Amino acid sequence: MILTLLDRLNRRRAWLRWGLLAAGLLVAFGLPWTLYPPVATDIVCWGLFAVAFDLLLGHAGLLSFGHAAFWGTSAYGTGLIAIHSGVPFYVAVLGGTAAAAMLALPIGYLAVRRSGIYFAMITLAFAQMVYFVTNQWRDVTGGENGLQGIPRTLPGFDLSNSFVFYYAALPVVLLGLLAAWRIVHSPFGRVLAAARENPARVRALGYPADHYKLVIFVISAFLAGLAGGLYAVNHGFASLQEVYWTTSGKVAMMTILGGIGTLWGSLVGAAAIVRLEDWLATAGFEATGLVTGVIFIAVVLIFRRGIWGTITHLLRARAVAPVPQIEPHLEHDHDELQPTPTN
Amino acid sequence: MGIAAAAVGALLAGCGGGPGAGGGKVSNAKIVLGVLTDLSGLYADITGPNAVAAVEMAVEDFKRKYGDKAITDNIEVIKADHQNKPEVASTQARQMYDRQQVDALFDVPTSSAALAVATIAQQSKRLYFNTAAATTELAGKSCNKYTYEWAYDAYMLANGTAANVTRQGGKNWYLVYPDYAFGQDMQAKFATAVEAAGGKVVAKDPTPFPSDDFATFLLKAPGLTPKPDVLGALQAGGDLANLVKQYDQFKLRDKGINLAIGLLFDSDIKAIGAAKLAGTTFTTAWFWNLDDEARAWADRFKKRTGQRPTFDHAADYSAATHYLEAVQKAGTDKAEDVSKQLDGMTFSDFFARNATVRPNDHRVVHDAYLVKVKAPAAASEPEDFTELVEKIPADQAFDQPSPACRMG
Repeated sequence: MILTLLDRLNRRRAWLRWGLLAAGLLVAFGLPWTLYPPVATDIVCWGLFAVAFDLLLGHAGLLSFGHAAFWGTSAYGTGLIAIHSGVPFYVAVLGGTAAAAMLALPIGYLAVRRSGIYFAMITLAFAQMVYFVTNQWRDVTGGENGLQGIPRTLPGFDLSNSFVFYYAALPVVLLGLLAAWRIVHSPFGRVLAAARENPARVRALGYPADHYKLVIFVISAFLAGLAGGLYAVNHGFASLQEVYWTTSGKVAMMTILGGIGTLWGSLVGAAAIVRLEDWLATAGFEATGLVTGVIFIAVVLIFRRGIWGTITHLLRARAVAPVPQIEPHLEHDHDELQPTPTN
Repeated sequence: MGIAAAAVGALLAGCGGGPGAGGGKVSNAKIVLGVLTDLSGLYADITGPNAVAAVEMAVEDFKRKYGDKAITDNIEVIKADHQNKPEVASTQARQMYDRQQVDALFDVPTSSAALAVATIAQQSKRLYFNTAAATTELAGKSCNKYTYEWAYDAYMLANGTAANVTRQGGKNWYLVYPDYAFGQDMQAKFATAVEAAGGKVVAKDPTPFPSDDFATFLLKAPGLTPKPDVLGALQAGGDLANLVKQYDQFKLRDKGINLAIGLLFDSDIKAIGAAKLAGTTFTTAWFWNLDDEARAWADRFKKRTGQRPTFDHAADYSAATHYLEAVQKAGTDKAEDVSKQLDGMTFSDFFARNATVRPNDHRVVHDAYLVKVKAPAAASEPEDFTELVEKIPADQAFDQPSPACRMG
C-alpha cells in the first residue's frame, strides 16, 4: 500500500515537473506580449544572472560579492567587440562571456581558498579593482560616460525592434538556464553540494574540493557574463553601473528574494525586482530605494525561504502531509556526530 | 512559434506610435512633454520635482498666451525617475517615446544617462532637450539632430571662471580635480583657459572620487613654488562640500590662496554655508537674482514650489517654451519640422540672453555669468546667494563647434 502511494506521488511529481516546465516556457515566450519588450529582455538577462549567482551561493555555498565584475566585464567586452568588429551579436556576447570566464579563473583561484565572509570580501575587492580599471581606462571604456552605441547586429534580421530582439536573445538565456539545471543535477553538482555541507569529509572521500569550487566559480562567471553581454546589447551601451558593487548587491537581493538554492526562484526574484524598479520609476513615489529596501527586509524576515522557496515548501508540506512516515532515519543518523572543524 | 510571434509583434509595433502617425496636425491629437530626471537622489534638489514644475509652468503659460489659437490645447507633462542609472534612463526614455507618445524629453542629469537618452532620441526620431548634463560630448562626438543642449557644459564652467579670475590677478593656479571624466575634462579646459589668459598652472592633482579627506592637497598648496594665488576646486556635490569645509579649516584664504570652483549650485551653497564660501567665484548659466526679468520669473516659481529656481529649472522652462513655440510655428509636432524652426533661431528670454541655437551642433549659446558668493549679511533673503561679477558674452561663453560632431 505504501509503495502504491509512493508511486502515485512520484508520478504526480513528474506530471508537476513537466507542467511547471511547460508553464515556464509559456511565460518565457509570452513575456514581451504582456510587458514592455525591453523590460522583458531585462528580466530574462537579470534572471540568468541571478541563476548564475545562485549556482554559487545556493549550490556551492559561496557568497560572492563581486559578480558585477563578470557581468560588467562581459558587458564591456561584448560592447567593444560589437562596436569595433561588427560581428553578429551572438559572437560578440560569446567573446565578452569568454573574457568574463577568463577573468574568473585567477580571481576564483585565489578566492575559493577561503569561505564565508572572507570569500565575499576577496571577491568584492577584485570587483572593485575591475570597477576602477574600467573607470580609469577611459580611452577604451568611455569612463563614466559609458561605452555608448553598441549595435544589435545579426545578418538577415532587423533587431532594432525590441520585440524581435527579445526572441533573438531568449534562446541564449534558455541555453544558459539549461546548463545551470544540468550542472545542479549532475554528479558534479552532488559533489559540490557535499562540499558545501562538509568540505573535510568530501576531501577525505578523495574529491579535490577546491577544484570543484573553482570550476563552479568559473561556470557561474561564464553564465553571469552571458547575461551581462546580452544586457549590454539590449540597452545599446555599457556603463560603470555594470561593474559597480551595487550590481553585485542587486543580484544577491534577487536570489535571496526568489529563494536561495532553488534555481528557478532566482528568475522570480529577478522579475520582481526589475518590474518593481520599472514601475517605481513612473509611479510618482520619490523614494525607489526605500520601497525596494522595505520589501527586501519584509521578505527576509517573514519568508525566510524566499518567494519560490516558500511556495514549494508549502506545496511539499501539503503533498507530504497525508503520507505516513515511511522513510527510515538511516540517512540522518550521522548528523549528531558533527565533523571535525575545518581550518 | 517564436518566429511567428515575432513577426506579428513587429507588425503591431510598426503600427503603433511613430511620429506623424495621427491624421491631424499633431500626432495622437496631443503634445506630450516628458521630464526624465532624478526625482529622489543626489540631483533631486538641482533638477528633480521642481524641473517638472518648471515644464508645467511653461505649458500653462503657452496655453494662456495662445488660448484658442494654440495648435492644440491637449498638452500633457509626464515625468519619470531615472535614479541616475543610465540603464533605467534608456529604458524609461524608450518607453516614454514609444508608449506614452512623448514628443520631447527634457532635463536628464548625469552625463552617462544623458548620452544614453540622446541615443534613444535619435533612434526614436523624437526630440530631447538636455539642460542638466555637463558633458561636452553631447554636442561633440555624440551629437545628433534630435538632441539640443540648452543650458551649459563643462567648457562654459571652466572657461568663464579660469579666464576671468586669471585676468583679475589670480596668475598662479593649483588645480585639484576628481579623478573621473568630468573632472579630467574640466581640468584640461581650466588649464587651457588659464594659460590663454596669461596665467600659469603651478600644479594639478587628481583626487580620489568620491573622497572625504583632502588634507594632503590642501597642506601641499602653500608650500608650492611659486605660491599659488588660486586653488581651483573642480569637485562637485558632496566632495566639494568636504573640500570647502577643509579649505576653511586650514585657513588657506588667510594665507593668500583664494578659492575658485568649477561647478556650484545654490543647493551646494546651502549645504556648505554661504559664510564659508563668501567671495568664491564661479561661472553659472543663470541665477535668479540676475535682474528684474529673472526675478519676476523666480517669484512666480517660488510661489508655486516654495523655492528659488536653479539655472536648470530656468533652462527647462525656457527650452519647453521654445519647443512649444516651434511646434506652433511649424504647425506640427513632427520632430524634423520642429527642429527646422529651432535651428539657427536667435532669441532672448529671461533665462538665455543673446541666444543662438547653433544649427551645426545644436548647442544653444547664450550669455553666461561670472558670479561670486555673497556674504550672508549682504543677502536680501535666505536663498539669495550670488552676485554678478561680470557678464561673459555669448560668443565667448561657449566653445567653437566640435569637429567631432557630425549630424546625420
